[in-house]
Amino acid sequence: MKKEDNDNRLFLLDAFALIYRGYYAFINNPLRNSRGQNVSAIVGFINTLYDLLSNEKPSHLAVVFDSSDDTTDRKKEHDFYKANREKMPEDIAYAIPIIKEIIDAFNIPRLELEGFEADDIIGTIAKKKEKDHKVYMVTPDKDFAQLVSSNIFMYKPSRQGKGVEILGVDEVKKKWDVDQPEQVIDILGLWGDSVDNIPGIPGIGEKTAKKLVKQYGSVEGLIENAEKLSGKQKENVIQFSEQGLISKKLATIILDVPVDVSDDDLVVSEPDKEKLREIFAKLEFRNIGKKILGDDYSANVKTEGQIDIFGSQTDEIQAGKDLNNTDHNYHILNSKEDISKFIADVHTAGVVAFDTETSGLDPITATLVGMSFCIKAGSAYYIHLSEVHDEACKTLDAFREIFEDKKILKIGQDIKFDMHVLKNYKLEIDGPIFDTMVAHYLVEPEKRHTLEYLSEPFSATLQ
Amino acid sequence: MSKKVEEHGAQELLSKVEIPLIPVLCDMEHEGVALDTAFLQDLSREMNTELENIQKSVFNTTGVEFNIDSPKQLGTVLFDTMKIPYKGKKTKSGQYSTSEDVLSKIASDYPIAREVLNYRETKKLKSTYVDALPALVNKETGRLHTTFNQTTAATGRLSSNTPNLQNIPIRTEKGRQVRKAFIPRDADHVLLSADYSQIELRIIAALSKEANMLEDFQKGLDIHSATAARVFGVKEDQVTREMRGKAKAVNFGLIYGQSAFGLSQQLQISRSEAADIIKSYFEKYSSIKQYMDNNIQFAKDNGYVETILGRRRYLPDIHSKNHTVRGFAERNAINAPIQGSAADMIKMAMIDVYRAMHEKGFKSKMTLQVHDELVFDALKDEVDDLQKLVVDKMQSAVEINVPIVVESGIGNNWLEAH
Repeated sequence: MKKEDNDNRLFLLDAFALIYRGYYAFINNPLRNSRGQNVSAIVGFINTLYDLLSNEKPSHLAVVFDSSDDTTDRKKEHDFYKANREKMPEDIAYAIPIIKEIIDAFNIPRLELEGFEADDIIGTIAKKKEKDHKVYMVTPDKDFAQLVSSNIFMYKPSRQGKGVEILGVDEVKKKWDVDQPEQVIDILGLWGDSVDNIPGIPGIGEKTAKKLVKQYGSVEGLIENAEKLSGKQKENVIQFSEQGLISKKLATIILDVPVDVSDDDLVVSEPDKEKLREIFAKLEFRNIGKKILGDDYSANVKTEGQIDIFGSQTDEIQAGKDLNNTDHNYHILNSKEDISKFIADVHTAGVVAFDTETSGLDPITATLVGMSFCIKAGSAYYIHLSEVHDEACKTLDAFREIFEDKKILKIGQDIKFDMHVLKNYKLEIDGPIFDTMVAHYLVEPEKRHTLEYLSEPFSATLQ
Repeated sequence: MSKKVEEHGAQELLSKVEIPLIPVLCDMEHEGVALDTAFLQDLSREMNTELENIQKSVFNTTGVEFNIDSPKQLGTVLFDTMKIPYKGKKTKSGQYSTSEDVLSKIASDYPIAREVLNYRETKKLKSTYVDALPALVNKETGRLHTTFNQTTAATGRLSSNTPNLQNIPIRTEKGRQVRKAFIPRDADHVLLSADYSQIELRIIAALSKEANMLEDFQKGLDIHSATAARVFGVKEDQVTREMRGKAKAVNFGLIYGQSAFGLSQQLQISRSEAADIIKSYFEKYSSIKQYMDNNIQFAKDNGYVETILGRRRYLPDIHSKNHTVRGFAERNAINAPIQGSAADMIKMAMIDVYRAMHEKGFKSKMTLQVHDELVFDALKDEVDDLQKLVVDKMQSAVEINVPIVVESGIGNNWLEAH
């Protein structure tokens, strides 16, 4: 896509199709936040939206929703239209208001018109705007192929590693084997569409529909020439000709929806980052937050389910807190005096959290680089250890009384690894231990138990 | 964090099981096991020869040479060149499937399919274990230090990697050969292996208080024959191999909430026959049916299910309106308490055995845990006492109202001991 075309491009997003797609992409392993809410639909949609914004940098864009009140003309006429559709999954119903809130926070125009479906609204706007815009209909729904023209394109967002697919007139002709995109309607009319409950003509599938449209041009053309067919096919076409014509009508995207939008209504403005930050934090979106708002974003918002290693002391953790605006007191243990003072403090506290910093991840051969300790929140100690094994053993010997103490509680994250490493330095841990990784395993058995995950509690694991 | 653990009812499980297990696992990993690398090298050479022989034999049958490792080429040769009738579905990319399922089905009529299966098994074993294990031996200690993951499996079971002990096949002769490579420390040691027998079925019987099955266990009967006798309404000495096979499939399928469809697929019988077997099974073992329904109801009411030691598995999808998603949660509601209770039991046993060994000053070491089995590197002088201790601690690890049977053996390698 040429950059100079940027100005006259208009993107119209088919919201529901993209939301459903996001939801079903994770159906076997839904993404959940700490409250157990399935957020797959939200994540899927935002990822698509954000990819589009960052790759295309569009100036004009609108997200189009189906009307909540589902009384389109088509439906009024034919009861069976979309009767097949299951009721909306509860997780999608829950996601929709949130997605709308996010779109609004992005300052992206959102369109919805009572009594009309998104495809009709998109079709109508696309046809109106094609005179002075290149219009991109962003949707995975194949039906939109019927609208493609020299200035209207289908834009299928990437999925499962496949890149974005843009269909112009030539691509549609090739894919559907038609002379002009409008004939897609005739193919759908014969073939039918079980999702939308368009019956089509019995016995005619995708391939036959394409062949017949190629030969006779349209549903009407086929019916006129029914006598030239043979066997069961001839019977079906004659018997179900009425149904074929209705199907064609149902498959036709309406182009005269009473919707009037000026170019100004479709302008994309700068996102309201504060608002987005608030919404993402509430949803516990960590990776998405970072991706959209930058690396300094943190979902570290106090939530009800917050895990605190040190109980109430971390109650003041709030959104946006980081090293620069939080009290902290970090020490390096340099001298013998530092060490003995520290050890006395550990005895007083009766508890110490510690971690080994090592040269590698194989616990049997890993050598120590240093160790870190913590006795209370906001206060930590680090000791650097010599590469020379005997030297390091000598330094560590001072800590033996802590590690072997039968009363002091030793806290670690995957403490088994640290125990291995200390064994290599002839230190055995005795007395009470606690492992945050193992404890979290009993709280949320299905989740990850890494330090990163525990530090930003209960964030949904979002890409 | 402690507060959170308490809220999830996991305080006891954490302080009595998971935390005390950490030093046990650490010692096992640190100790490691001895590996007979010379044996594996010989086995690798043997397997190479065998692979070449199979290849020759396959090419003889097909009349063309091709890459057996390529499913695409294999499919074309079998189903186009040789014109073997193909009944399965094609894969997404339009290829023939040459999966184990497909090949097993035609193996009785076309020996070449059996040969290909054999080829694949050999190749897989060779690359995953026979050639890979020696590379995992630690250069400093000369031993193999597996890593036990305590927080990976949501059921509560341990898993292991480098190597993954769970995946070493035990059902086939070749797979068993791999176990031969695990040997005692030196000439003064032997391997001791102790294994819970039918532990999951015993747990179902105990948890459901199913009188008929408890009776069979108390009598010390072969449980699958006893089940067959009940389900098919025959005397125990009239149970045929085939009946026992079917009963066994239901007994195991049950643990995983298998459907009539699943059972019919597995046994290659009609769906209605499978449904009849399951119906009869639940008539004879009505408390088991009741127990399964209760578990699902419990999950719906509480959002989780739990094991004998209170290990929870959270099942938010139990309320899903999507029936595939919900079905998955329902099967977990049945399966998780059973698998998880078995995990609770062996973990308790490991802690008890470890403590008793320390108290009594044993020099022998516990080295491996896989599925329902524990393996020890035992000093010959200690092995008889150790065997008694291990069996006793395993049997008494968790108080449960069903006889617990532990089978144990001693040998000069893991295969011999098992």
